[in-house]
Formats: sequence, C-alpha cells, structure tokens
Amino acid sequence: MSPFALAHLSAGIGAGLTIIGAGYGIGRLAASAMEGIARQPNAGGDIRMSMIIAAGLIEGATFFALIVTMLLATMKG
Amino acid sequence: MNTLLLLLTAGASAEASQAAEAAKPDPAAIVMHHVTNQPFLGLDWLSHHLLFFVAAAALVLVAVRLAIRGYQAGVPRGLATPVEALVLFIRDEIAEKSIGHDGRKFTPLLCSFFFFILVAALLGLVPFPILRHGQWGALAVTSTGNIAVTAALAAISLVAQQYAGISRNGLWGHLKGLVPPGLPFWLLPVMILIEALGIFTKPFTLMVRLFANMLAGHMVITVLLLLIPMLAGVSTVMGIGIIPVSLVLGLFIMLLELLVAFVQAYIFTMLTAIFIGMYAHPAH
Repeated sequence: MSPFALAHLSAGIGAGLTIIGAGYGIGRLAASAMEGIARQPNAGGDIRMSMIIAAGLIEGATFFALIVTMLLATMKG
Repeated sequence: MNTLLLLLTAGASAEASQAAEAAKPDPAAIVMHHVTNQPFLGLDWLSHHLLFFVAAAALVLVAVRLAIRGYQAGVPRGLATPVEALVLFIRDEIAEKSIGHDGRKFTPLLCSFFFFILVAALLGLVPFPILRHGQWGALAVTSTGNIAVTAALAAISLVAQQYAGISRNGLWGHLKGLVPPGLPFWLLPVMILIEALGIFTKPFTLMVRLFANMLAGHMVITVLLLLIPMLAGVSTVMGIGIIPVSLVLGLFIMLLELLVAFVQAYIFTMLTAIFIGMYAHPAH
C-alpha cells in the first residue's frame, strides 16, 4: 500500500472515530441537559446556555481532529 | 463555485463522460479550490476572502449607522429593533453575567465580535452571481473560513483578556492571579507552566473553532452539490436522479449553517467574555 493510500485510509477511519467521540459527548450533554430541564423547567434558559457553551467546547476539540483528517485526505503524494 | 457550475453544465450535456474526462475532476482538489482563498476575477490585489471580509465589515458599519438613525422618532423603528435586541442581549446576558458589573465597558468589543462574525457567516450563505471567463457562476465565500481572519479576531480577544486582567489587578496582581492560591510550593513550577500556556491556548481554540466550523459547512455544501457532476460523469440518468437529493440535502445543510452562524457568533462572544471575566476576577 502506498503512503498516499494509507493517508486516505487513516483519514476515513480518523473521521469516523472523531464523530463517534463527539456524538457520544454531545449526546451525553444533551441527555443530562434535558433531564435537568425536565426536573426544573424554570432553570431551562440557564441550562440551555451552558449546554450550548459546553457543546461548543466539545465541538472545538472535535474540529482539531477533523482538521488533521482533512489534511491527511487532501495530501498530495 | 464557478468550476462547479461549469462542471454542472458539462455533466448535464450528452458528452458527459468526455467532458468529465477532459476536465479531469479531482473531487478533493475541487472542494479545496472552493473553500480556500482565490484571487477575485484574476486580480492580484483582491482575493475572495479579502473582498468578503471588507464587505462584512462595511455592512456591519452601515447597518449599525442605519439602526442609530431609527431612534430619531424616539421609539426604535426599522433596523433599530433587531439590533437593539441583540445589543441588549450581549450587554445583559453575556457581558454583565460573565464579567460582572465592570463588564459593561467590554460591550462594544463583544458587539463588534458578534456582529462581524454573524454577518461574515451569513454573507457566506448568499450565492452572489459572478461573470468569469464568459461563464456565469455563483460566489459564496465567508471570510471567517480563512484562518488568518480568525487568528486576527483571536489575537484581539487575547489582548482584551490580558488588558482586562492587568487594568483591574495591576501587572503583578494579574500574574499572581493566574495561579490559584493555596497551592503547595512544589506544584508551582508545573502550574505556572500550565497557566502560561493557557493564556495562548484559549485564543487558539477560539481561532480553530470558528475557522473549522465555517470551513466544514462550506465543504459539506460543496461536496453535496459536487455529487451531481460526479454522478453525471457516470451516466446521464444517475446525474438527473441525484439532482433532487443533492439540492434537498444542500438546502438542509444551508439551514443548519444559518443556525451555526448564530451559534458560532454567540460562542465566540460568550467565551471571550468568560475568559475576560476569568482574568479580571481570578480566584481568591
């Protein structure tokens, strides 16, 4: 297998792994936030805001990994 | 987008496979061509990102001036209503809640971040018609999809964070506040190193988050539209069959990008405010 093919293969696997992690993280976050809002609807606004910020932080870390895969996928041999 | 439309028309014609063979479409190269900076109409002093950067800044300035004019009647009317709602939101919900009562003086900076990032992202969703090499194409560029632009925004954010800490606590107080008090002395070398790195990683994540979000959205839209010429290269029937799928998915991603534009503008502003608050009021 050429290094070029390996780079493409690892980019695909890496993107998949990244999304698994991010999906799990944001899923956990949304589940907890919904539970919190259901228990205390009055605090809904604050919880939603904190949820968006935390989701943004998770997403930021995810994008680091995605940029690495993007660089791998667009590598010129 | 120009090459894309050229490929679209080429793909729909009868000589699809020949045209595709002649154009030699390399999907990765086409996608990268659309999201990276390109000279505008072949000019060497103006590029797509620069043009849309200036356009976004000018649009924000003009819109806010118009909004101020809306107050002449005493009650806000026209453009003043939405702008006032957003500015009040930034002042009350972001600046004062995250920084404290002295957060009010950072409201102009936070408003500038919010409106610039929002308008730049929304401009990227508008396909502007452009005539190049005798071919009509569409140009949808967001200047925040360029890492240099987000790096500049993050640098301003970095300066604001350090200014907030130094102006409030003094230089020595600011440096002392970086490390949480009451630490065992043998932890100090490690903590000082980590906190010193933290000064730079905070704006760095701001930079990468905004850049990657804008880049990824445009990449996905381009890839979805690129499916049409690529499948049309295989056979005309498949090319025509993919058109509705591609357009509907593309429209869905566009709507998602509308949400992302607001969320990213909010997150950048909010995190800047939180970091300013962290440096202005360190743990005692």
